[in-house]
Amino acid sequence: MTAKRSFTILPFAVLALTAATLADAAAPPSVTATIAARQANFKKMGKAMKILSDQLKSSAPSQPAMYGAAQVIASNARRQGRMFPLGTGPGSGVETEALPAIWTDKADFDAKMRQLVNESTKLVAVTKAGNAAAIGAQLKATGGTCGACHRKYRAEDE
Amino acid sequence: MAEAQARVPGPIRVWDLPVRLFHWLIVGLFAFSWWSGENHDMDWHRWSGYAVLALLVFRLYWGFAGTSTARFAAFVRGPGAALTYARSLAQRPYVAKVGHNPIGGWSVMLMLAALVVQVAAGLFAVDVDGIESGPLSDYVSFETGRAAAKLHHLVFNIALAVVAVHIAAIMVYRFWLKTDLITPMITGKRQSASLPPDAAAAAVGLGLSWRALVGVAAAAAVAYAISVGFRF
Ligand code: HEC
Ligand code: HEM
Repeated sequence: MTAKRSFTILPFAVLALTAATLADAAAPPSVTATIAARQANFKKMGKAMKILSDQLKSSAPSQPAMYGAAQVIASNARRQGRMFPLGTGPGSGVETEALPAIWTDKADFDAKMRQLVNESTKLVAVTKAGNAAAIGAQLKATGGTCGACHRKYRAEDE
Repeated sequence: MAEAQARVPGPIRVWDLPVRLFHWLIVGLFAFSWWSGENHDMDWHRWSGYAVLALLVFRLYWGFAGTSTARFAAFVRGPGAALTYARSLAQRPYVAKVGHNPIGGWSVMLMLAALVVQVAAGLFAVDVDGIESGPLSDYVSFETGRAAAKLHHLVFNIALAVVAVHIAAIMVYRFWLKTDLITPMITGKRQSASLPPDAAAAAVGLGLSWRALVGVAAAAAVAYAISVGFRF
């Protein structure tokens, strides 16, 4: 009876111990990984945005290239909402440009992320159709959602 | 004969018209680029940058083709000349120069260099949203474009510092050496009384020759070609 109970307690004790060690470290591996992953995703989106604007500058934009880039933006946009758990801000000890306002104004931040998802979904649709003028307009709308969030929630890099 | 020529009373032209136009247009556009950049008014910021680009192309050309005080060969001097000049600053009354002095010449080259790097970085820059970008950014990767944007920020702060030193120096001349440098940069002229006796011989013309026309045409053509990223 007692032996059995101690066995059930053991895993919890181990768990509590690991949690304590993790909390003690400057930045838990999970935090580092989350921040690195979201930055990598954002970078993919930035590269995809550049592919779209580069294509639109050329006299013969490639529809497949633009469609592919729009899909990269839309699929990464859907992932990013979950990439800002509590404790992954500037206080985490990991280098990040995320501002504390994200967590004090979470509802607005999430709304801005949803706007990105909406506009990038539309971007996929117009790049599938392939009309350059429509793509240009939707690219501007999508870029507007990036900028609106960055101005408020991302530290300006000098 | 030479004696009679020595002290022509009245004003002597020391800066040609293109140098003065360049100067005050740069002042205005530098401020406007700053303002439009800070406000993310990127359409205006780009136009302002292309205008600065055209002005720089013209000024670099004018440094070889302009009147004597506009030419680099006349005012880019070695450290020895700068040192001798620095010592001469102790003499009273201070006697002004026709054209740039050996230290001022270096500040001019520093400002021009800062502006050239500033504009060049802007041409390749990509913003974090990947939406606003210079006309040559599609020739480089996203990473290089972001690095160019960071350089654009950094060099702007350097340019501001250099301009601050420039303005401080002009104030030192004004209040400490009792020499007004600002009026000649506006009117082009300085009273010969504040210049060395042989200054009249170094006076410059208005600078409105066919050479200036060639420079304006070349500057406009280069700036246009770059602004469309060489896609004609
Ligand atoms: C809802 C807010 C939000 C939206 C919308 C948003 N971003 Fe960001 N972005 C951020 C935050 C916060 C950071 C800083 C992340 C960090 O450093 O941890 C960031 C960072 C970045 C970075 C720098 C990544 C790095 O290398 O460190 C890029 C590039 C980027 N975003 C591109 C985009 C693009 C392109 C879009 C639109 C298609 C976009 N972002 C939309 C919030 C947003
Ligand atoms: C309102 C502030 C300013 C004043 C009063 C001013 C005044 C002057 C004066 C008097 C000169 C001639 C110096 C000499 O006699 O040797 C000069 C040269 C110059 N200034 Fe300014 N300046 C100002 C701001 C700026 C700014 C903002 C810039 C931009 C970066 C700038 C760039 C230059 C350059 C490049 C020259 C060399 C001109 C040439 O030879 O073509 N100045 N300035």
